[in-house]
Amino acid sequence: MASNYIVMAVTLIIWIALFVYLMMLDTKTKKLEDK
Amino acid sequence: MWWKILIFILMCWVIVMAFLTPAPQQMIGEASRIFYFHVPQAWVSVVAFLWSMIFSIKYLRRNELADDDAALAAAQLGLVFCFLATVTGSLFAKVTWQSFWNWDPRETSIFILLLIYGAYFALRSAIEDPERKAKLAAVYSIFAFITVPFLIFVVPRVMPSLHPSDSIVDKSGKIAMSGDTMMVFFPSLIAFTMLFFWMFTVARRVLGKERRYLEES
Repeated sequence: MASNYIVMAVTLIIWIALFVYLMMLDTKTKKLEDK
Repeated sequence: MWWKILIFILMCWVIVMAFLTPAPQQMIGEASRIFYFHVPQAWVSVVAFLWSMIFSIKYLRRNELADDDAALAAAQLGLVFCFLATVTGSLFAKVTWQSFWNWDPRETSIFILLLIYGAYFALRSAIEDPERKAKLAAVYSIFAFITVPFLIFVVPRVMPSLHPSDSIVDKSGKIAMSGDTMMVFFPSLIAFTMLFFWMFTVARRVLGKERRYLEES
């Protein structure tokens, strides 16, 4: 069960990093499009 | 903005619950948790290839390069999700069949699909003229999608396969999942589909900007 928590934490970290990256990319490309 | 927050919450829910609820297939054990990620990834790759075909048809009808950008963005994401489905499937195969790759009909059909869409990018990179490239790629994408239902849904069901075939719907057509499993699986399906459309919007914007920049320079 402990290994489940570790895998869950790693997956969550990867997801949060991907989400933040996508948000940044989304904002940047929207700005570029509006120019 | 609200739907991006919804994707975030749904995906967090899926990740947490996928590891905290009982494994969906008690016979297989912990490895069956990969089901919550593998099936939605395979589903999204089918949606992405369908999207690529729709925009390819649009391009052939309207002759606007923006539609070609969209078809390309969808095909790129389709290939990424197809690759992820192959990797997660392969990990599952290692645990249940003791080998990462067995050339099972399901594995072979997804491998052929990867090759077919890999050739789509090879075709694009081989042509210089943007109009000609877009036209040929659009025609190829339409023909490529015709193989998708056959390779994903028909081949593995017609040929004897080790791949589980009744983990979502059983032979009588009823949903073959427990309440706990459904509480994770369906949000995962929704979250991955929404994530694809978000990524598609961003990728399409990037490709459009890149094309306009190349046209200007």
